[in-house]
Amino acid sequence: MSADTSKTMTEAAVADTTERRVIIRSVGMKKIYRRGEETTHALRGVDVEIYTGEFISVMGPSGSGKSTFFNMIGALDSPSEGRVFIDEVDVAQLTAEELAFLRCRKIGYIFQSYNLIQYMTALENVTTPMAFGGVTPDESRKRGMALLELVGLKERWFHRPIEMSGGQQQRVAIARALANNPSILLCDEPTANLDHRTGDEILSILEKLNRERGVTIICATHDHRMMNMCDRLMWIRDGAIERIARRDEVEVQLASIE
Amino acid sequence: MKVIDVQPQPLLGFAKTLRIALSGVKYRLFRAMVTVAVISVAMAFLMNILAESLIKKTVAETAQEQIENMRRVDRWIARLSIPQTAGEIIEQAAVSETDSDAIANLQALGRLSEPETEALRTLSLDARKYLAFFEDIDYGRRRVLVGSAETTLIFDRLQEPSARDVFYQRLGDMRTIRFISEPEAFNTFLDNWPILRALIDRIRSGQSIAIQSIQQQMAGRNLMESLRFADGAFGDTIRNAGFSLSAEEGRLLAEQVGDVADSSLIEDAVNHADVRQAVAARRDIMPGDVTPALVWDMLKREDHAEWYLARMMEAGYPVSDWNSAIIIERAASRAHAFLLKQAERATVETGGGLMGIGERMTWLAFVSMLVCAVGIANAMLMSVTERFREIATLKCLGALDGFIMTVFLIEASILGLVGGIAGTLIGLIIAILRMLAVFKGLLFDALPLGSLFTASLLSIAVGVILAAVSAVYPSFRAARLAPMEAMRIE
Repeated sequence: MSADTSKTMTEAAVADTTERRVIIRSVGMKKIYRRGEETTHALRGVDVEIYTGEFISVMGPSGSGKSTFFNMIGALDSPSEGRVFIDEVDVAQLTAEELAFLRCRKIGYIFQSYNLIQYMTALENVTTPMAFGGVTPDESRKRGMALLELVGLKERWFHRPIEMSGGQQQRVAIARALANNPSILLCDEPTANLDHRTGDEILSILEKLNRERGVTIICATHDHRMMNMCDRLMWIRDGAIERIARRDEVEVQLASIE
Repeated sequence: MKVIDVQPQPLLGFAKTLRIALSGVKYRLFRAMVTVAVISVAMAFLMNILAESLIKKTVAETAQEQIENMRRVDRWIARLSIPQTAGEIIEQAAVSETDSDAIANLQALGRLSEPETEALRTLSLDARKYLAFFEDIDYGRRRVLVGSAETTLIFDRLQEPSARDVFYQRLGDMRTIRFISEPEAFNTFLDNWPILRALIDRIRSGQSIAIQSIQQQMAGRNLMESLRFADGAFGDTIRNAGFSLSAEEGRLLAEQVGDVADSSLIEDAVNHADVRQAVAARRDIMPGDVTPALVWDMLKREDHAEWYLARMMEAGYPVSDWNSAIIIERAASRAHAFLLKQAERATVETGGGLMGIGERMTWLAFVSMLVCAVGIANAMLMSVTERFREIATLKCLGALDGFIMTVFLIEASILGLVGGIAGTLIGLIIAILRMLAVFKGLLFDALPLGSLFTASLLSIAVGVILAAVSAVYPSFRAARLAPMEAMRIE
């Protein structure tokens, strides 16, 4: 599928959301990895606009460039060509300090493998980004407890990751991602390592965050439950956007196929 | 384009950073212990070398003093038997202070006037300097420069203008040798050499006259026997002949001669057939295996000493006024002298290098530091590698590069401190035990507590600094790591 068609579809899909602010925008985003003689085109020019308060599911087989896409829009890596704007700021122009600030305040990251710091308690894990953000210890403790309460782990604040189940760890990770009230939440397959029921809990937390707090959520997933709650769906294949569509359109299509 | 509204990230308090580093160490206790072990082994090696060398150095100094003391008898026998050589007189006269006993002694023996004594002193200082130069260059080169002449004969030889020309010409050809002074200064000295030689000759003839007069008054006794009375009549004889002998020196001399005589009597008895048989029977060995060393070792014990004294009396030795305490003391003193000699041998390498521990030891210490640095760097690199994910996660959470570097440097310093203290203690204990085995009782007279303490601090500091320095590169790499490592699902 060519880039042109995908663009048209994007425009169609967001027709009724134009009044909302664009929070992430990529223009001709390409990423080329060179390893010796071999060059890999991980991304072949991606143009996408994501609006505040949106819940987007990103799908694609492994090796499709999905992770690279996440790194780019999460300011974790810089594109070989093209530009990424987060909150209208060109990521490529930022200094190391500004990048750290951006990662600390604007974006919350949730990983498939939780990536909690093993030697810290749940509360310490949650408050670490606050310390980087300059919140006082007392304040961060209070906010950390509030966040743990939000994810339902208030009673287990002193547990270390090794003493918690996968679902509990992922909930701590969500609380940590929310530490500095980010406007964007980047989730890389948050339910992949969890059983069905725990996955449901995580999804409902994410949905609640999106509906009640207006957090923009971008979620890589293979989980079909995710499709039922997201605003838009995006498919990536071979380093390009294969398709991007509103959920109601997809449901209509699925229904018509059936 | 919109400009991002960055507030500078507050530096995390040292306490917080330290706590993160500490909990990191605690979490990886096994890895940390391995690193600490590497550091402590290297530091133990370093500290061991330092401590042993420092102990040896102090023991050597103490031993040297005591050995000098013990050689008093030898010195006086030599002095009262033959005149000193020119070199010895120069060595004795080449002192910086004008009112030394040695100079006074030479002045009296040579019947020198005050100006002559002063000339002797200043010229001897020069002479010693030049003699040291000729002593230091190897035989082949000396042969080229001054032919077969040695010591003061060199100065005699260079009195001839032709020999002096040859000397300067060949010295000029030897590019690797630098003469210690300007030719003018050396020429002046050589021109003055006849004066010094004349003074030395006068001292020597004074000495031989004095020696002759002493020998006449010894009335057939040998010098050793006569010296037993160095604190009394014979001391006066020595003084009258022109040698300077203080009352204290005379007392010590007489005492030592007495001790030497006692010792030789005891040792002589070992060769007496009856005594030897008795000792062999008591120790249950063949008479032929009875050696002085074995007997001396035996005589340290009260009961053996008493028994041996009885055997000596039976054999007819003049020991009726002795008691076993004398024998025990002689045995102990002999053992001590033996220790001193051993100490002298064990400490030939000291001097120069770091803290006076010797060149070779300094080099060894340096190598141990290198090994330590490589070991620590390796350990830190592994520690960083296995924490890639954690570092990347911290960066995703907004950690600055500086914070990550600080955490790793603090961690390395903690490991260095613990390893340094442990290693220093281990090295120190091993050094003291080893030195105790070599020097035995001598060690406690000469334990250099002050410099050992300094060395401990030095070694701990080296441990911390090495750990911190070798962690710089790995932590720099860790800090520069792209945060996407955390996102990568493997």
